Amino acid sequence: MLTIDNLHARVEGKDILKGLSLSVAAGEVHAIMGPNGSGKSTLGHILAGRPGYEVTAGSVTFAGEDLLAMDTEERARAGVFLAFQYPVEIPGVSNMEFLKASVDAVREHRGEEPLDAVTFMKKAREACKVASLDQAFLKRGVNEGFSGGEKKRNELLQMLLLEPRLGILDETDSGLDIDALQVVAEGVNSLRGADRSFILVTHYQRLLNYIQPDKVHVLAGGRIVRSGDASLALHLEDKGYAWLEDEVA
Amino acid sequence: MGSSMHDTLAAAAAAAPGWLAPARDAARQAWAETPLPTRKTEQWKYTSIAPLEQDFGPGRPVELDAATVDALLPDIGALRLVFVNGHFAPALSSGELPEGLELVRFAEADDSQAARIREHLGSALPEAGHPFATLNGAALGDGLFLAIAPGASIREPLQLAWLTAGDGQAFTVTPRLLLLAGENSCLSVVEHFADAGGSAPSFSNAVTELLLAPGATVNHYRLNLEQGRALHIGGVHARLERDATLNGFCLGLGADLKRLDLVVTLAGPGAHAELDGIYLPRGDEHVDYHTCLEHAVPHCTSMETFRGVIGDRARAVFNGRIHIHPQAQKTRAELSNKNLLTSADAEVNSKPELEIYADDVQCAHGATVAQLDALSLHYLRSRGVSREEAQVMLSFGFVNEVLESARLEPLRDALRPLLARRFARDPSLMRHLA
Amino acid sequence: MSQEVIDERIGKEYAAGFVTDIESDTLPPGLDEDVIRFISAKKGEPEWLLEWRLEAYRGWLEMATPEWAHVHYPPIDYNAISYYSSPKSFEDKPKSLDEVDPELLEVYEKLGIPLHEQEMLAGVAVDAVFDSVSVATTFRSKLAEAGVIFCSISEAVHEYPELVKKYLGSVVPRRDNFYAALNSAVFTDGSFVYIPKGVRCPMELSTYFRINEANTGQFERTLIVADEGSHVSYLEGCTAPMRDENQLHAAVVELVALDDAEIKYSTVQNWYPGDTEGRGGIYNFVTKRGVAHTNAKISWTQVETGSAVTWKYPSCVLRGDNSVGEFYSVALTNNLQQADTGTKMIHLGRNTRSTIISKGISAGRSSNAYRGLVRMSPRAEGARNYTQCDSLLIGDACAAHTFPYIESRNPSAVVEHEATTSKVSDDQLYLCQQRGLDAEKAVSMIVNGFCKEVFRELPMEFAVEAGKLLEVSLEGSVG
Repeated sequence: MLTIDNLHARVEGKDILKGLSLSVAAGEVHAIMGPNGSGKSTLGHILAGRPGYEVTAGSVTFAGEDLLAMDTEERARAGVFLAFQYPVEIPGVSNMEFLKASVDAVREHRGEEPLDAVTFMKKAREACKVASLDQAFLKRGVNEGFSGGEKKRNELLQMLLLEPRLGILDETDSGLDIDALQVVAEGVNSLRGADRSFILVTHYQRLLNYIQPDKVHVLAGGRIVRSGDASLALHLEDKGYAWLEDEVA
Repeated sequence: MGSSMHDTLAAAAAAAPGWLAPARDAARQAWAETPLPTRKTEQWKYTSIAPLEQDFGPGRPVELDAATVDALLPDIGALRLVFVNGHFAPALSSGELPEGLELVRFAEADDSQAARIREHLGSALPEAGHPFATLNGAALGDGLFLAIAPGASIREPLQLAWLTAGDGQAFTVTPRLLLLAGENSCLSVVEHFADAGGSAPSFSNAVTELLLAPGATVNHYRLNLEQGRALHIGGVHARLERDATLNGFCLGLGADLKRLDLVVTLAGPGAHAELDGIYLPRGDEHVDYHTCLEHAVPHCTSMETFRGVIGDRARAVFNGRIHIHPQAQKTRAELSNKNLLTSADAEVNSKPELEIYADDVQCAHGATVAQLDALSLHYLRSRGVSREEAQVMLSFGFVNEVLESARLEPLRDALRPLLARRFARDPSLMRHLA
Repeated sequence: MSQEVIDERIGKEYAAGFVTDIESDTLPPGLDEDVIRFISAKKGEPEWLLEWRLEAYRGWLEMATPEWAHVHYPPIDYNAISYYSSPKSFEDKPKSLDEVDPELLEVYEKLGIPLHEQEMLAGVAVDAVFDSVSVATTFRSKLAEAGVIFCSISEAVHEYPELVKKYLGSVVPRRDNFYAALNSAVFTDGSFVYIPKGVRCPMELSTYFRINEANTGQFERTLIVADEGSHVSYLEGCTAPMRDENQLHAAVVELVALDDAEIKYSTVQNWYPGDTEGRGGIYNFVTKRGVAHTNAKISWTQVETGSAVTWKYPSCVLRGDNSVGEFYSVALTNNLQQADTGTKMIHLGRNTRSTIISKGISAGRSSNAYRGLVRMSPRAEGARNYTQCDSLLIGDACAAHTFPYIESRNPSAVVEHEATTSKVSDDQLYLCQQRGLDAEKAVSMIVNGFCKEVFRELPMEFAVEAGKLLEVSLEGSVG
């Protein structure tokens, strides 16, 4: 599904990723953990194609295609979804308009007809239920005045509707209370399937209690320094990151 | 301005009722002594009235079919009055006059109405005068008098359509509205200016006076949708007594010349004014909004939000003045003006002004000129939306935020597609909006 | 006409007019071309400069007094002003401070700027101006070592004619506006600074101006040229003794920051503001402007507490790509003072940046207006401006105004303007008083807090002086 090879990237003139390699097979859930400033979030933005994030070396192949050669929206249509750590507020554009535009764009790319308004509304309502968001949120401006937790659930709502092939959750768990965390986890679990992969970027092991990862990687100094199974996360929880940093240094 | 303005004034005289003569003659006297503004006149620094330098004859009645009018005017379920080239068009008007609403043309006013018109006409205009309000008075032939009975709360909105339709020769129209809102009365009125097309340039010089008695609430919508050679200079002058509320909303597309002066005087304690506006010039259009909030007494509040998107080679001017008079303690006044320039040849001139002569006040204003937010653009694109559609959505959202403050829902619904169309050259780009 | 002939003629014509009570040469009031010739001749100026002055004068004659500012004062009779006075003792050209007229030095002592102490103040050179003529310059040797030129403009005309000819009027053209044209015609003296390529001026340059003569207009002319990659910080301080009659001051300051250069220009203006009834006080009509070339930076910081009427807009023309303009201002008005001050940021180059922080404080029956222009030209790709204007009102009889002009013709430029007003609240006063501060001290503290963002842009010794100045200026504003 996704192959990252020797990825180097810089942001605002600063090298953040320094030779990151990672391979995620279809259906797998990978957790990427690491101390603050290790480059976790940068990886998500690089994959999503955020302006200002510059790849200086390495390659990313997604479903057999060169991901880095694609525009932001092309990546999204091809099935890459990044749940933002800080979702953007867009007042004046309703959530509904935003979701419909996204879903139509992705469907069109897949050669599917746009959903009629009734069908779309039905799907949107169902997704609201899963994301535990009141339907009133559909009429409000995109993320406008949403609480932190509501924003994260709105990201989940979008993911449920867009049905990506690769879902990247960028610290979606940070700042969430336990109920909201469970909602997000259940949403992700409901989407899990043989055809769909996930990358969970997180600082804490907590999320992994609810979403069982196939693999856990530790990112430090812009590279993956350890990989293992779910037990690695527990180990990190126990020992913190300091011992790793010593190792890297 | 051409020499035939005199003919126009003469024609106006013929149509006007005799009791208007003294007021009109006074205005004519004043007009004769009024220098026309130039670019050196501070209030006209960024707006040239050069497009007025042609001969405008009087506006003649033109038959418009209902389909044309329906295409111009959104159906907002309102009582509708249509004027074409300044002439009342009963066939295009519809609806029943609700109880508590008195509505008459100056030409048909009875003695009591004439007395009230004489008493109040011009009373909301600035003492220092405004050249085009003076011209309006000088050219006044007919006008519309609207009175809401004290305590009357009119649920149905009133739609006043001032349409122009060319008939070969350049012509001028002088709409005038005088509204008296009685104590604790309430009304929504939509003034809708539009051009039905035609071969000739037109010049509308419109004046609206809104007089709100204590406790009255008026929601006033002013849509200036004329474009191209349909020139418009307009003034809305409101005076609010104790605890009165004015909710004003403006939408202006651009034209060869479009200039609006919105002046609200808060004359009684507890009065509150909200003024929102959107301007969307493109092509070679020009639009100029000059707003002024006169806080004349203590304990009044005003909130103002104007936003504009300026494209192509168009030019927008916004001048928002807040004037706190020496006695007006405990005032709260806020103004925000935000602009998006979407083309290398577009231009905006913004001047928010504070003039404060009292100390116990909270006043703030802000103005920005910028482009679409890069992060928002990225967010939309990261969900698969194309750059072009994302730009349309964000531009739309930028002004739709202001539209959402308009209280009349059918009007909001009717205007949304109009706004979206302004940004989407390709209709498919607005399919998810409106 | 030869120099001698001019001298002779003018000397005769005006001989009777000289006021000699404190040994100064003072022209009788009045302005015509002969007066300009007299000034030029008196200073031994070259022909081109005389012509330059006369051109300015002829332009001025056709100009009208600007009336757009939010200030009111009786019309000025320009023929009632004397355009030249110079301390007699200057004729002897003192070589050191010891040779300076002790009377002069005494006046400076009173103003709190004793030259002897100034001399010892490490890092500060002083070019003191007394009634239009430079009387003393110190630290010149140290500056000379670095190649920095810091002298009076009259001296520069003789010593560095190419530089003066090249840059004089290059930023503020001689017919730029009414007051600039007047200044160009009759300027008597001022400072000239040149910082050579790549040089970081080893000390803060400082000039104290003052006005002393009855009915003498002051027409200072300052020209600062920072050559490529150089850096200079210039301080201008102004004080004036009490006067009954209004005095006109129409200075021109031109700054040229060539590629990669930086000029920081700081002012504390504390001229006589008039008495509590508005009698007397200085009319301060100043044109200050700088041009910033590629990657250059010009920063204006001003603390304005004096003058009866202030009309002043230190501006930046951001000509070069990536150039930066800054304007930090505190303007305080009390009693019947009127100020209309602000800045212009003209963005011409790409990625140019400007910041405007303006703090206006109105007390008494005064009027305080911010007037600013931010212009984004079509070429100003990626340019940015941020403006913040705050007004503080003290008492219910004062006025505070904000008139910002924003003109943008580039879709990639960003302009942000914010303005707020507030008063010293009763709650704030009550809190301070409850903690044992008297009302005046409390107001002074609040005002200092209000101005903090600007004060921290000032060189240390100025910041202290500025704080004191506000306190003194606000005396009697709270009852």
